[in-house]
Amino acid sequence: MTLRSPLLLAAAAFALITACTPGAGGGGGGGDGKSFEFWSFAAINQKSSVDAYREKHPDVDIKLTEVGTSTETAQALTTALAGGKVPDLVLIQGDNLPKFVQQPQNFVDLRTLGADDIKGDYLEWVIEQSVAEGGEVLGIPTDVGGMAVAYRTDLFAAAGLPTDRDEVGALWPTWDAFIETGKRYKQATGKAFTDNAATSVFYQAVNQVSQKYYDGDHELIYDSNPEVRTAFDLGIKAATAGITAGQSSFENAWSAGMGQGQYAAVAAPSWMLNSIRSNAPDTAGKWDIAKIPGAAGNWGGSYLAIPKRAQNPQAAWEYIKEMQSPQGQLEHFTRSGALPSTPSVYQDDKLATAKDTFFSDAPTGKIYTDSLLGLKPFYIGPDSATIGQEFLNSITNVEQSGGDPATAWDDAVRNIKTAIGG
Amino acid sequence: MNPVAVTLTPARPAAPPPLAPRSSRGLGERLSPYAYIAPFFVIFAIFGLFPFAFTFYVALFDWNPIGDQVFIGADNFTRMFADPRFWNAAGNTLSIWALSTVPQLLLALVLAHVLNHARLRFALFFRMSMLVPYVTSVAATAIVFAQLFDRDYGLLNWLLGLVGVEPVDFVQSTLGSHVLIATMVTWRWFGYTTLLYLASLQAVPRAVYEAASIDGAGPWQRFRHITVPSLRPVIIFTVVTSTIGGLQIFTEPLLIASGAPLTCGAVRQCQTLTLFLYEQGFGEFEFGYGSAIGVALFAMVVVIAAINYLLSTRIRAD
Amino acid sequence: MTSTQTRSAPTRSTAPRLRPPGRVRWWTYLLLSAATVACLFPLYWMFVVATTDTATATQMPPEIVPGGNFFHLAGLVLETVPFVQSLLNSLAVAAAIGVGQAVLCALAGFAFAKLRFRGRNALFLIVLLTMTVPTQLSVIPQYMIMSELGWVDTLQALVVPGLASAFGIFWMRQHILATISDELVQAATIDGASTWQVFWRIAFPIVRPAAFVLGLFGFVTAWNDFLWPFIVLKSPERYTAQIAIKALQNSYDVDLGLAMSGSFLATIPLVALFVLVGRRMVAGILDGAFKG
Repeated sequence: MTLRSPLLLAAAAFALITACTPGAGGGGGGGDGKSFEFWSFAAINQKSSVDAYREKHPDVDIKLTEVGTSTETAQALTTALAGGKVPDLVLIQGDNLPKFVQQPQNFVDLRTLGADDIKGDYLEWVIEQSVAEGGEVLGIPTDVGGMAVAYRTDLFAAAGLPTDRDEVGALWPTWDAFIETGKRYKQATGKAFTDNAATSVFYQAVNQVSQKYYDGDHELIYDSNPEVRTAFDLGIKAATAGITAGQSSFENAWSAGMGQGQYAAVAAPSWMLNSIRSNAPDTAGKWDIAKIPGAAGNWGGSYLAIPKRAQNPQAAWEYIKEMQSPQGQLEHFTRSGALPSTPSVYQDDKLATAKDTFFSDAPTGKIYTDSLLGLKPFYIGPDSATIGQEFLNSITNVEQSGGDPATAWDDAVRNIKTAIGG
Repeated sequence: MNPVAVTLTPARPAAPPPLAPRSSRGLGERLSPYAYIAPFFVIFAIFGLFPFAFTFYVALFDWNPIGDQVFIGADNFTRMFADPRFWNAAGNTLSIWALSTVPQLLLALVLAHVLNHARLRFALFFRMSMLVPYVTSVAATAIVFAQLFDRDYGLLNWLLGLVGVEPVDFVQSTLGSHVLIATMVTWRWFGYTTLLYLASLQAVPRAVYEAASIDGAGPWQRFRHITVPSLRPVIIFTVVTSTIGGLQIFTEPLLIASGAPLTCGAVRQCQTLTLFLYEQGFGEFEFGYGSAIGVALFAMVVVIAAINYLLSTRIRAD
Repeated sequence: MTSTQTRSAPTRSTAPRLRPPGRVRWWTYLLLSAATVACLFPLYWMFVVATTDTATATQMPPEIVPGGNFFHLAGLVLETVPFVQSLLNSLAVAAAIGVGQAVLCALAGFAFAKLRFRGRNALFLIVLLTMTVPTQLSVIPQYMIMSELGWVDTLQALVVPGLASAFGIFWMRQHILATISDELVQAATIDGASTWQVFWRIAFPIVRPAAFVLGLFGFVTAWNDFLWPFIVLKSPERYTAQIAIKALQNSYDVDLGLAMSGSFLATIPLVALFVLVGRRMVAGILDGAFKG
């Protein structure tokens, strides 16, 4: 065995492979002014929008990367901002946004590109979250979640529960009633009613409040706000009622369980519909959507931002302007089901009368716009995501790891204090 | 990384080498030795030593990579010592280390003993098989073991079900997740360790075993009184390397809890120290706090190396 | 002064085979077969799950023979991440590190073993001491340096730091001390050879097998590395195979077999390599040198 030939071979292979790899700095098309690079998260179906845009603008080369989960996308963005190649356009989930809004110097102030002209198109409480202290507009909202419950009509029927979406909604005016319904289901079938208590109960209830983790003066009140405590106790109640499958949202087994009917109901904001479709394609037509228990509220929704060092900010902005216009968002809704953040299209027939065959022709547009009616916007601060995560963890601990429900609240508050250094 | 990370062994004094610099030889010839060793020193200085030293500096700051850097003195360390997440991670690391090192070393001892047999057939096949886990990546290992141990669809829980045991949720329980990770670590390293032990055993003269046999020593006595004592130095060495390796366990916990990867589960039940460092550094972007955790890890490595040094000196004195 | 751990290893391999006597009992084979099954079964299982669809993979009792879904899943893998590119990236990085380590360590080991220069012993002690610096713990500043160099999301960010191996220098020095006599080197020098010629024409060919084993271990370690590539690589077309596996696990619309299929595809090349040259890796460990 001679070493000289492998040496040459390796050097040649390395040179070849690094040469074949698309250029590091250029991204999509390398600064021709029209092309750009776009980071999104997975399962949100930004690809359909990108494809639509490509069709209209065949000269524009878009390089779309689905980085991972929304959190991982935000982490990848942070590392990139800290010293790496940044994308021209990036999708940021609402919970992750405040930390970026606090550091506006990392992003293009969209007012310099004309954001003032379109700002009025968006729900005020939504776009406000992307405005920094100095008034810089850092992101344009792509969608809002709204809230609803997706449920399996076949499984409900087998349990002797009603299947009509209005009757189902009437089963659970409150979260307590939702948990009671779960117990009925469990009694009839012996199977789990919902996927997990943390997201499908607590995370919904805590987003139906008037104030969440911060008060109107942006002071932390997560440990003293009775509304948060109520939502948390509901989560614990659901976790200990034996009605959950113990499948954490977005984990592999959660996706698999969805297709297998391991659970019959799951909290589903508008952007979730796409996940259900792709996770459980064989269950088409077996789902329906009912109103959420409790009051109006919102879960999720995302923003498009342009990093300061982007090479093609203008091209990215053209994309935002076209695809996030009220019409653009309406079209995205018809493709993927995510609810527009532009209220002017809520009365449009394409939305108001939209029906989704996968979900038994549920009028998704109406259901989700209704869930936003009377919504009381609250302040989302830099630590909101961390605080929410710790509450979720504490409930999951009770549900899946045998944690003590009696100390769960105190544990969560203590963990939050540690995590945010308060 | 080679498992050989730390050896506090003095350099062996070599005989004077033959190629002395002579005035008759050119400047290039006299400088060439430095050129030959320079790549190592340059690379190590830039990518090893400097970041290492810089860790201590960054640890003194509240360092936001996309925001401000504020000098805060020892605050990161005060915070760390009061941080239950740090102690939780330290406890998990210790537990996973114990659960993986002990079975791994015992297995390796026994296997090395039986592999060290003059008339063993298929010896090469057995030896090579045992190195297969070592060439399998940690990422692939984590994916396949997580599936084998899965609560709902795993082979292991199916087998347990056959004998009437309720499904065990390995990932969600503290002990279960530690067992799962320790199993992966053991699987990966026991064959490698076996070969290390075998290497040492082959240095034991056959006459020693023969004499023992003639004196009536059975297989167990030969194992107990010849194999184990002659392996003592290499056992200590593998304990040290597995400890330092154990402090750096990262990929397994990251990959088994796909819903909460950076904490390895909702209540950090299997978050190791290195994963905690990563979470603080590249999840929360607290570069300063993450560096402080790195400094703490280094302190632990130093303590372990010191213990190793003391132990091996004592053994040599025996 | 000479410790057990630095005992010159290669001389031992030339010693007569010294092993305990006696008949091999049946339970010895049973035990070794059990260990072999334990080592190989997870790889088999990887293949089983990588060839079945989700419905089969999630049924109880589990299917224990491979299904016919391999090409479907492999196609999905290629659709989800640029997997061929990531295999090529892994190959490029691992080959560059393996070959680079073998050559650079042989060169430095030669200098320390056979050349006399000022500060030689002190410098060699420094090389040994660098082994005590756990570089993995300073990933945060390492990342900062890469970002200063503009190397984030490049393959050289993996290769260049991987070239320095203190252990490799130590190992090659031991081999050169044990296999190359001073007389040989002196004779060549008197004939007018430069130190480079002595190294490249005489020393390196002799220690080539040892360098090859060192390079193999460097290759395997680099191929399987996870933490550092995970931090420094950002775009899918730069991923190494290991990071591609993680990306497959991430994609929300999960096919259970997807990550498994990726793991299988990323493991096959190394297993193939191992079948070809594994006996030399085994011999390398048995040489004793990898004990440190």
